[in-house]
Formats: sequence, C-alpha cells, structure tokens
Amino acid sequence: MSASTTEIDKPDPAIMAKVKPGHIASRPLVENNRDYTWITDKICRIVEEKTPTWWWFCFAAACMTASFTVMGLIYLVSTGVGVWGLANPVNWGWAIVNFVFWIGIGHAGTLISAILCLLKQKWRTSINRAAEAMTVFAVVCAAIFPVFHVGRIWFAWFLFPLPNSNWLWPQFRSPLEWDVFAVSTYGTVSVLFWYMGMIPDLATIRDRATTRFRKFIYGLFSMGWRNANNHWRNFEAAYLLLAGLSTPLVLSVHTIVSFDFAVAQLPGWHTTIFPPYFVAGAIFSGFGMVLTLMLPLRSIYRLHDLINQQHIDNMCKITLATGTIVGYAYSMEFFIAWYGSNPYEGFAFINRAFGQYWWAYLTMISCNVISPQLFWFKAVRENPALVWIISIFVNVGMWFERFVIACTSLANDFMPSSWGYYSPSIVDIFTYFGTFGVFSVLFLLFVRFLPMMPMAEVKMVLPESDPHHGDDHH
Amino acid sequence: MKRKFYHPEPTKAELNGPAYWKSLDDLQGNHQFQEWVNREFPDGADTMSDVDRRNFMKIMAASFGLAGVGVTGCRMPERKILPYTKQPEFLIPGVANYYSTSMPFGGENIPLVVETHQARPTKIEGNPSYKPNGGGTSTFSQVSILDLYDPDRARSHRDSSGKAISRADAESLIKDAASEFEGSTGEGLAFLATSSSSPTRAHLVSSLAAKFPKAIWAEHEGIDLSNPSKAVSALLQRPVRTVHHFDKAKRILSLDSDFVGYEGNATGNARAYAKGRKINSAKEATKMSRLYVAESNLSLAGANADHRLRMASTNIPAFAALVASHLVPSVKAPSGFSELEQQWAKECAADLLGHKGRALVVAGSHLAQEVHQVVVAMNEALEARGKTLEYVATDENKSTSIADLAAALEGNKVKTLVILGGNPAYDAPASVNWESAQAKAGKVIRLGYSEDETYSARSNWHAFIAQTHFLESWGDGRAWDGTYVPVQPMLAPLFGGMTEIELLARFLSKSVTDPHDQVRKTFEEISKKSDSRTFNKWLAEGILPGSAHTAVTTAFNKTVLDAIPSRFSPKVNFLNKDNLEVRFVPSAHNWDGRFANNGWAQECPHPITKITWDNAILISAKLAEELGGIIPDPWSMSGQVFGQDLNQLVRRTNEFNRGREITPIYQVTVDGVTVEGPLHVQPGIADYTLVLPLGHGRKTVGRVGKDSGFNFYPVRKSATSTSVGGVKISDTNRSYKLANTQEHWSQEGRAIIREGTADEYSKNPEFTSQMGMESHSPKLYPKIKDKETGKWREMTQQEKAMFVPRGNSAYTPPKYTEIEKKSDRFKLLIPGRYSPDGLFDQDLDNDEVSQTYHQQWGMVIDFNACIGCNSCVVACQSENNIPIVGKDQVLRGREMHWMRIDRYFSSDVYRNDGKFANDPKPDKRVIPDEVQVSFQSVACAQCELAPCESVCPVNATVHDEQGLNTMAYNRCIGTRYCANNCPYKVRRFNFLDWNKRDMGHFYEGPLGPAGVNELEQMQKNPDVSVRMRGVMEKCTYCVQRIQEAKINHKAKHPGSADVKVPDGTIKTACQQSCPTEAITFGDILDTESEVSKLKDSDRNYAVLGYLNIRPRTTYLSKIRNPNPAMPKAYPKPFARMEYDARYGHGLDANEMDYLGLPKGGDDHVHPVGSGNH
Repeated sequence: MSASTTEIDKPDPAIMAKVKPGHIASRPLVENNRDYTWITDKICRIVEEKTPTWWWFCFAAACMTASFTVMGLIYLVSTGVGVWGLANPVNWGWAIVNFVFWIGIGHAGTLISAILCLLKQKWRTSINRAAEAMTVFAVVCAAIFPVFHVGRIWFAWFLFPLPNSNWLWPQFRSPLEWDVFAVSTYGTVSVLFWYMGMIPDLATIRDRATTRFRKFIYGLFSMGWRNANNHWRNFEAAYLLLAGLSTPLVLSVHTIVSFDFAVAQLPGWHTTIFPPYFVAGAIFSGFGMVLTLMLPLRSIYRLHDLINQQHIDNMCKITLATGTIVGYAYSMEFFIAWYGSNPYEGFAFINRAFGQYWWAYLTMISCNVISPQLFWFKAVRENPALVWIISIFVNVGMWFERFVIACTSLANDFMPSSWGYYSPSIVDIFTYFGTFGVFSVLFLLFVRFLPMMPMAEVKMVLPESDPHHGDDHH
Repeated sequence: MKRKFYHPEPTKAELNGPAYWKSLDDLQGNHQFQEWVNREFPDGADTMSDVDRRNFMKIMAASFGLAGVGVTGCRMPERKILPYTKQPEFLIPGVANYYSTSMPFGGENIPLVVETHQARPTKIEGNPSYKPNGGGTSTFSQVSILDLYDPDRARSHRDSSGKAISRADAESLIKDAASEFEGSTGEGLAFLATSSSSPTRAHLVSSLAAKFPKAIWAEHEGIDLSNPSKAVSALLQRPVRTVHHFDKAKRILSLDSDFVGYEGNATGNARAYAKGRKINSAKEATKMSRLYVAESNLSLAGANADHRLRMASTNIPAFAALVASHLVPSVKAPSGFSELEQQWAKECAADLLGHKGRALVVAGSHLAQEVHQVVVAMNEALEARGKTLEYVATDENKSTSIADLAAALEGNKVKTLVILGGNPAYDAPASVNWESAQAKAGKVIRLGYSEDETYSARSNWHAFIAQTHFLESWGDGRAWDGTYVPVQPMLAPLFGGMTEIELLARFLSKSVTDPHDQVRKTFEEISKKSDSRTFNKWLAEGILPGSAHTAVTTAFNKTVLDAIPSRFSPKVNFLNKDNLEVRFVPSAHNWDGRFANNGWAQECPHPITKITWDNAILISAKLAEELGGIIPDPWSMSGQVFGQDLNQLVRRTNEFNRGREITPIYQVTVDGVTVEGPLHVQPGIADYTLVLPLGHGRKTVGRVGKDSGFNFYPVRKSATSTSVGGVKISDTNRSYKLANTQEHWSQEGRAIIREGTADEYSKNPEFTSQMGMESHSPKLYPKIKDKETGKWREMTQQEKAMFVPRGNSAYTPPKYTEIEKKSDRFKLLIPGRYSPDGLFDQDLDNDEVSQTYHQQWGMVIDFNACIGCNSCVVACQSENNIPIVGKDQVLRGREMHWMRIDRYFSSDVYRNDGKFANDPKPDKRVIPDEVQVSFQSVACAQCELAPCESVCPVNATVHDEQGLNTMAYNRCIGTRYCANNCPYKVRRFNFLDWNKRDMGHFYEGPLGPAGVNELEQMQKNPDVSVRMRGVMEKCTYCVQRIQEAKINHKAKHPGSADVKVPDGTIKTACQQSCPTEAITFGDILDTESEVSKLKDSDRNYAVLGYLNIRPRTTYLSKIRNPNPAMPKAYPKPFARMEYDARYGHGLDANEMDYLGLPKGGDDHVHPVGSGNH
C-alpha cells in the first residue's frame, strides 16, 4: 500500500475499505438458512413451553446440592472457621481456592460480551447471553467464599469504607480490600451488562406472552421497550459503553485477585508474573466452563443451527491459546525460581512439583497444559463429546492450579519447623460442591425464564440483516 | 451480682454517726453499745474486727469460691454490701499484688513469687531473691497454678461411703482413727507420705515417732531422685546432698544425667550452666564451658552437649569406670568398649584433667549408688570439691520405703493406714502391688487432691480428706541448697481442704493444729527469733537468708574411696533387637503423673519430641529399621532440579502422613509384664534403648487428662532401677495418632539458626553476618556520612531504629520531644529521613515532633543460653490467657502457643547428593541417629516493616509508637491473611471457641454446651483480654506489662514528660521465667540498655533478615565448643556444614574430610547461592 502523507491526513474511503477484518468464519454463523421467525420462535419457545420434566429433576437435584452450601455455611457461622480444614500454616484453603476458581470462570462471559464485541467478532452473538449469565452466577458463587471465610462474618462490614465515629477506615494497602472493590464493581457491571442486553429480548417475550402475569413480569423487566429507533440507538450506545467499561475489568479483576498472592511475600506467591498469568488462566477456565455448559444445552434444545461447529472451533482455539499461555507461565515460574537463586523460592517450586502435593501439580499440568493441546487437531474439535470432556478437564485443572498456588506455598514456607499439611474437612468439600448446586439453580432458572440467546443480536448476523451479502459497506 | 467486699472496721464516729443516735449509750459510744451491735450483727462485726491479710484472703476467696463455683445467681446476698469508704491496704482494684511462696516438688521446695489479682492467683514466677534460680522457673512450677483451678479436684471431704462430709465431721473422723491408738505404741499404724523438705513436717514426724514408736512412716515418690545423695551419704556417713556449681565448671561430663531437665535443682543448674556458656565477645569464645554427655535418651542436657555419645544406660556404669580409669588410678578399665568409645573416654578424661578444679562429673540419679560413688571419686581426682561442687549437710530422713510398707500391709500388720498425698496406686514400683496391699489395711485415711487411681482402689476407706493446693496452704520447706522458704496461701482453700501438716497434727492431737501457727513455731526455732518482724520479712522475701545447708568439710575416708573399685566391676552388655533395654524417664509434661489433668502441662510440646498430650516409646532409627522398616518414605528422591536439592523434599518425618504422626503401637515385655505404646523414632537415642516416659496413661483422672498417653509404670520394678535389659518388643498391628507440633526436623541448610564453633568465632567474629541471603544482597541499611567526622560509616543500632527505609514505607520511625532534642542523648539519636547523599536531616520540623518520648522495644534471644526447656512457652500461656485446644486440635495444627520452641536436628551424614555417608541403604534411611540439636524460641518478632500489617484489610494489626506490632482484637474480622504473610508463622487463630467450650464440644455449634468454666476463668489475667473465636492473636511483648510499668513510672514522676522506664524494669513473661536468662528485652534507643548492648554483638542477626522486615527480636548465633582432640570432632556444627554446602561458600577441606567427601569435587558441593564476596 503506497500512501502519501496527504492521503493519510485525509483518509481515502477506498483505502479504508481495503483494511477489512479477516473472515474467521467461512461457514455461516446460523446454519440451514434459518430466518428471523425461526430464531424468535426457537428461543422464545424455550421460555414459553411447558417446563420439561428433565428440568424439574435437574432443578431438584441442583437445589439439593445447593443446600449443602447453605448447611455448610450455617454450620460455619454458628461454630467457627475451625469446621474447615484450615490450620497453621495453611490459613487459606479451599475457600480461597474456590473463590479464585469461580471468579476465573466468570471471565469468559465478560470477555465474550465485551472484548469480542469491541473486536466485532460476530460469532459471539449466540453464546454471549449464556456466558454473561454464567459470569453473574459465578460471581455469586465466588462472593460466598471471601465473605464467609472470615472469622467473624458479622463484622465483615468493616471492609467497607463507612464513615464512623472512631474515624476508622479499612486498610487500603491490603489486596483483600482491593478485592472488595474489584469484585463488587465486576459483579455490578456484569449484572448491568447482562440485564441491559436482555431488554429487547424480554420485550419480545412480553409481546408473545399469553397470560397477564407473564405480560406484567416481562413487561416490567423490559422497561417499556418498544423497538423504537431511538431505543435501539440508545441501546447500541449503552451496549458499547458497557463493553468499553467491562474490557478493563476483564483484566483488572483477576489481576487484583492475583495480588492476593503476589503482594504477599510468601515464596511461591510473591511473583510478578501472576497478573497476566491469572488473567490468561481465568479466560482459559471461563471458556472451559462455557463449553461445558453450552454443549449440553445445544443438544437438549437442538440449537445446532445457532451454535455450530464454527463457534465450538473458535472456543476450542481460544482455550488452546490461553492454555498454552498458562503452560508458559508455569515453566517461567520455574525458570525464575532457579534464576533468582533464592533458596526459599527455589524450594517452593520444587516442592510444588515433587513435594507432598505432587499429585495436585500433576493434575494441574495434565489438565491445563497437556489436555488442551488436543485442540490442535480438527478431529478433536469436531467431536463434541471429546470437546466436552476436555472442557471438564480444563475446569478441574484450573481448580487445581489455584489449589497448588494457595496451599503448597503456605504449607511449606520459610521456617521448616512450621511446615504442615492441609486436608479439607467434609464441610469444606460439601460447601464447595454445594456451590455447583447454587450455580446450577441459578442457571436452570435462567434457562427456563430468560432468553438464553440474544435473539436480536443473532438476527443481526443473519445474511438477511446484511443486504450487501457480506460485501463491503457500500 | 452483688459481692461481699471487705469493709474496714468503722470508727466510732462512722458507726454511730455524729448527728444521730439511737440512745445515749450510742452517743457515748460505750462498750455495752458496741456489744449490742455485735449481738445484732454477729457475723459482720466479728469479721470486721480481724483486719489481718490472711483473714481477709479467706473471706475474699470464699466469696470468689461462691462466685465461681456455686450457683451464685440463685443466692441472695447475705448482707448488704458497702462500697469502699476507705481503701483497704494492699488492695487496689486492677493492680496486682505479688506474694512469695514456694512449691513443694519431689522433696525440694521451689521458691516462687505469685501474682494475685484481688486475692486470685493468676501467674507464677520465680523468686528472684533465691539467687540460684534468679527468678527463673521450670515448666512444672509454671503449670502448677492451673491445678489450683482444676475443675476435677476434690471439692469435699468424704466418709467411708464416699459421701461428702463437713470439715467438722472430717476432723472427728481423724480423731476417731487416732483415738484407737491413744496410749499404744502405734503398732498397726502406718503412714505413707511423699518426700518433703518441710521442717514442720519433720517435727511432726519425729513427734509421731516419739508418741508411736512402732508406727511405720514410709515415703514414696513416683520419680525418685535420691540415689546420688544416698550414695554420697553412705561415703560420708552422714546425710548430705551434692550441690553443683555448673557456672564454675569449664569442663562438664554428664553420665546419663539430665541435669538441666529433670534432675534435682534443674532450674538452678540450667541457670548456672548457661552462665558458663554466655559469651559477650569473640575474645571470650574460648573461655566458654564444654559439655560432654554420654547417655541413652536424648535429654535436654544431651541436646546442649558439645560432644555427645549415644550409649545404653546399662553400659553407663561400665563407661563411668572407663572414664574413671583415666582419672582414678585404682579403677580398672572394663573391656568390651569400641575403639571410638575408648578414645572418647580417654580424650574426655584428659580434657577434664586439664581443668582440675574447674571440671565436674555428674551422673543420672537413676544410676546405681556405686556409679555415684565412682563419680565422687572422679570429682575428688578432679579437685572439684569446694570449687565446682559441694556436699552439704541435710536433715536426716528415717523413713522406710513403700516396699517395706507394702510387705507390712501384706502381712496384715497394718490396722490403720494414712496416705498423705501422692498417688501410690498409680506410681508405686511394679514389684509392689500397691492396690492389693492397700486393701489389706484395716482402714485407710487418705489425704488426696483429686479422684485418682489410689482413690478408685478404695475398699476399706475410713475418710477421704480433700487436700489443699500449695497456693492455698500454709507450710514451709527448704530449697535445693537448704534455704528455708515459706509456703504462703494466696487465698483460703477454695473447697475447704486440709494440709498435710494439719492432718498430721490433728492425728497426733497436737495443741496447735493450725498450719500457720505450726509454721510460725518452726520458723522461730530455725531463725531463733520470735518477733513478728523477722517472720513477716521471711514471708515477704520468701527466703530466710543464711539458712542454707552448710558444706560438709569432713574429708572422704581414703580407704573407703579406694575400696570403691573393688565393689564396682560393671560389664559391657551387648544389646540387640531381641535383647533391648528400657530406660524410664519422667514425663516432660506430667512429671510422675501429677499434672495429668493440667491442660498447660499436657499441651506444652515435649522439648525434644514435640509431642503433646501423649508419651511414646522412643526408639532409634536403627532399631526402627531393624524392626521391619517403619521408615519407608515413598517420595524420598535424590538428585537436583534447577539446582535445588530434592533431598529436602523428603519429609524426614517418616511417621508423618498428611501432617499427622501416625505410628504403630508396639508391645514392650519386661519379665513377663507387657505394656504397649506408640513408637516414635527419635534421633539421638542409643541404638537398642527403649525410652519409656512415665506419668501418662492415667486411668482415674479428670476430664482433661483422660486418654492421654500410655502407662509404663507396670514394667518398672523399682523406683530407682530405671534401666533393665532383656526386653522384647512386638508389633500390635494397630496404629495411633500422636499430636506432634513439629513435623520437619531439618533446617534444610537454611540460615535460620546460625551456628559456629568457639574456635571459628574467635578467629572470625563476623561469621554470623556472613551467612544468609542478606549477606549476598545489597545492605538493608546504607552507610551514612557522620555529621561530626564527615566520614562514611555504618549506622548504629539506634540510628537503624530511626531509619526510614528506601522505597518508603507506611512505618513511621519514632520522633522526639523538645526535651529529648535538648538532651545530650539526642546526639546519639539522629532522627530524620534518609537522603540520597547519605546524610541524616537533623533539622526536624517542630510540627513533626510529638510531645512524648517513646521507648522503642526490642528483644534479643541468645542461642548459647537457650536450652530449650519450654519454661517461656508456659509462662507466656499463663500470662496471656492463651487457651488450650486439646489433642484433636493439635493434631489439626491449631495449637495456640504464642511462643514456641523450634527444635531442629542436624546430622553429619548429610551429603549433597542426598545420600547419607556410610549408610548401607542410603536411599531408605532418612532419619539419622547421630544428631546435633538446635533450639530456637520463636514469638512475634515485632517487625518494623511488618508484613502482617500491610495485608490486613481492616487495620486490626497496626504499629504503635513504641515499635510494637499490636493487635486490636475488637477490630479483627479474621481474614487470616496476616498469618499467611508472617514469615515466622507466629500468629495464632481462634478457629473455634476455645474459651467458651470444653474440649470435645468444639464442633457442636449452637447445639453444644457453651459458657466459660468459672473455675478456670479465675486464673485468667485480668490485664489481658480473652479472645473469642474468629480472631487472630499473637505476642505483643507483654504490652500489658509495658503499660503497667509506664503508668507506675509516670505515677512516680507526676508532671514530667519523661516516661522513660529504666532499663530492666519491664520483664516480659517469657524473659522472666527463663532460667538461663536467654531472653533480654528493653529499649533499643537507649545505648546503655542491656538489649542494645547485645544487639551490638557481632553474633546478633535477624532471622530471615533479607526480607527487609526489620524484626525487633533478633538472635545471637549459637556457638558450640568442640574439643578437636575428640574422635569425630566436628570442624563446624552440622547445621553449619549443611548450610555451607548448600547455600553458603562451600565446604572447606577440613569439612570435606570430616564428611568423607571426595576432595576436588568442590564444584559439586555448592549448588546454589555460593555467592562471591
């Protein structure tokens, strides 16, 4: 491209037109030439039809599982943190591991809705609603842990900078305090983004509603959406704004979560690589979770036309990329531990890999680094069952990553006299698995009562929406 | 709740009132009216007329007793209470009173000072007036206060049916029993008592002998330490006791004697021994004493030895003869010892001989009397007498043994048996079947402290008399050196118990039965003064000066001494897996079992094994391997990854599984009697010795001591024969969990406890600062340009304390007052900020100067003095209301001690390739037997740049102006981030409601019983808050003591801005109890303070100093003093060689040679951190 300075000063539309984003997709995003009506009908019927039997079974199972968390927390608050397996020197165990795990899960939602939106990745449309819902519910699950892991939850409000007569403020140097702001901001923006994006679809359901009650409820939440042009204009602007707002959050939240470790001086925690490594890990685990959720949903609701192989392919590739970044981080940690010549640091990493928690480290490496490498193969990416299994591996591996970081570093630090071993108690285990119930309850309710895909946005990527048939914007 | 308060006797004017009167008599205030008042208000008037402290205490204690024990809420106050109109003397609410007393313990009385709050004893401290102990205490004296508040102690006297009876009834029961013998010779009357040094009791015993000449008086102690005295007494033909002066000894040989651990006068010995080990500068290094120990069990003495020889106890007599053969010409060397052992004995003897008059040999009291006589001969040869030891005359003791008494009982010769204290059914020698013997007595009167084994063996009970705790008794006794000391009550008996001397006096129908009056009478006889002043002075000081036993000057009979060898020809026994020996040692927790229901005692980790709540059969790693490998460690790997030695991953804790010590239960059979217990592989034990700690496994015991440990008394045949041969051991295929507070025994070459030899230190005084990460990284404190000389120099200790670190920090160094700025001292204290040119800015802005001067507190712990005795651990627990958590929680790793003692082993078989030299199975054996021991007492170091503070989200842990890292418990929400970020791991979290729930009910949540045990609550120090669950806690240098001292100082200097407390006024609880004075505390800004001087020592260093956390507690490196002539004399301490090889500057030729490493492979030896200098 040869362009003179004057041409740069005055952009030539012809040249600009040449700088077009490459087509990732060669296949259509919605297959089988489905039209607007089909999409509306497909998505709305999920909400409108009689509740399927499987849903009731799942919901009952999820409620029961969720009750584990509730019971675990009641026992915890009434009796003390000692009902968990924590002890000196491992003062943070599963609770913090679970917190980081769930917060990490949420990241795919934000990434899909915000970053991919800004990057104009059209394939995001069919998965972003569910992914955003996942984010919101994951934040709910995540928030349980830091709140309840404190010794005196009834004083947890000390964490908020509330004016008081003693002139006592929180300690703004503490990463835990940063967490309070980071997670609450993240939660708020995620809910807003999710809800706002749903408004046109809620209005569609309202319009199709047959009972007064449904009309009222959906009417209430669609906030008087009339599909007016200025509604759409405002919607688009707000959507873009929130996407812009969310984008730094994708990076900041997990960066700050990683500071919980990186700011401490513990060997194995005190490393500068944590922020990027945690963010990559979070996206990795988030996409793992999206795959875990979307593949069954696609089968159950026969959404193969909307979530097609191209979507799966893209998600697999992102998983592969972030998984490799994570793998690089693991090896870099080791390199620096050796290069730094600090005996304490060096020991911490050797201990991770070969010490008493070797099994956790091995699980982490095999799930996070090795298993996603299968996504290099097209045959693997095109086998939904295999993709789903690998996505489960990713989830497991990422939980273990947090366990390895939090627990192995604490268990064996500076003074060998204090070295110990951490085992979770039954309450730890139940409380954690209960959060999957909490998550499932929320997700099932979402599937049942809210539009699972952004109908409006999906329609926008149909060929009909583009009268120029994919040709340039002339 | 209303409480009766003492109200001083009202004056007539107060009583009658100036303006109103009931009658003319009233107005006149005449005698009859007073009597009328007395009639009208009998109780109150009576009480109020007696104003002495003792009575006051009684009343106070009674009210506390009621408040604490009774159902106070249901009781209406008996009388109206009146507020203080005039403050009673000595009683200021909130201010503690200190009274001297002493604790009777194994035939010696330990002089103590007790802190009381409103007549409620809360903390025991050593009596500094008693110079041999100098204010130090043992763990046993520290824990004894908790026994006073033991919820399971006997609360009433009981009759034969076990029914509670009144004191009057109890007295008449004693009288009944005594009246049977009235006028008789006392035939059929027998007494069994514990050892006692009380002259008052001795009087009673002699009047007993006078009144009932045929009565049997037997004495028994579960742990009998009387052999050495008996042996020397036999030689001198008069009752004597050996008093050692370890401080004067430059060379000490201990033959199986734990003289700083549990032998008589251990506290005094420890203090004296440490004096000989303390060195102030490199010049003094070679002057420090040297300790040789040959022993089977790894004792505290052995842990502190410069040269230690592992040897079976059954071979110690022969070894004594071997050493003696080099010192005493007439003794022949026994044959059968190995080359190394012979060499060891020879060189040791040569070293001792080279220090005639400054050398000392001691032997364990479990050894036969002949051994002690050989030791006497050796000490004579070393001219020790009068220099490093003295034989002092003691009172004669004509008691018989429990065996003789049992024989009389078995022969049905005893009609009435009086058991005074003790617990013979539990701790009598196995050759005496005490339970059956006791059942043969016609009737038994028992003076007992709680329901124990002796109580449950009752069948012929006449009366059970509840015994008083020594803190609620009047009594007397003698300290180890014979100093006459009082036993003073701090409060009236909580449950109306009786003391031993009262019971005896009542039995003898003495005219004076009141213990106080008896003691007073004895005092008058001993002091030869009858005025109250001398008596009161004795009570106040707690010692009678000049009353110590005097040294016996009679020389030993030469022929008797020379005859010793002829009576003494011990043989060397060859032990093996099928022919083991057992060695009995007292429990480090419970002594002979008496503290079994004491939570502090049980939870205080054993100094060597670090096991709590249990005892175990201690065996060597070699035996463990031969028994069939309880050693396998599947994850033991060798080699290196990235220069990191994989060997350090080996848990070195073979019995540990997931952080818990799970060990097999083995059976030990001695002469057909079998006991069982869990095995614990303990480095340092003689190869074929089973060490059996006594005092655990009590069957009839309170709720605290239930199911704690295993009872080994059944295989101990007599109280003095504590080692036996021909023992078998077999597996039961069951396992047991031991609550061990320290899993990992190796320092892994880390420069945590820095060690060197005396020789090295004298040549290179800087060796301490040349170790560790910080010696390889840029200096934490820059050099500064001196304002006066203009030259660059290192900062002084004081300047460092004022220094704002590079990169800035939230920590603000102290600022100064105008007064300080004008003083001369200020020149030494250059405050200000570090500027790039290295100059301090002295021109402080006035606004920055606060109006108060704050002393900056710091602490130094001397590794050369610390012997690892645990006294500080319990003292801290007692002072700071630290809860006990029970075995289950210790197993989970939740022990709460703010101060802990880390115990590391290091071995000379370490090799860098992860293998052990000279080991046939190098891959398997991960616990060595030849070890050196290092102790480190660790509490919060009050880091200036505290990592815990910056991570607390709610500001619950913050720095104060005195440099203390304080805890605001009320602000803490329990995120536990601080504990994670603490490199020393000294923060403790209240995971569950330790204070509100009893052990065993922690997990019951809202459904379980909750509430503070009211009796235990009485022990709590009111100056320290009791923490609830969910709160982090830790050491704050006993901030309550600091504040108290400041307030006192301020009160003495009203109006002055100077609140500088003089150095030495404040003693932290750990410092105060430390028998060796290893802990020094004070103001680091004061160049003259003791702590500043120590911090200026070249041995001073900060553990993990490289983290730039700037801890206020620093340590003085450990100096060992090996004798190069000894076989296997180590060129450097083992831990040091390990450091040098792994992270230091590599091993030198000497060390390589010693370790048997090939020379020239130098590059192979230091993998990491061999930085350049």
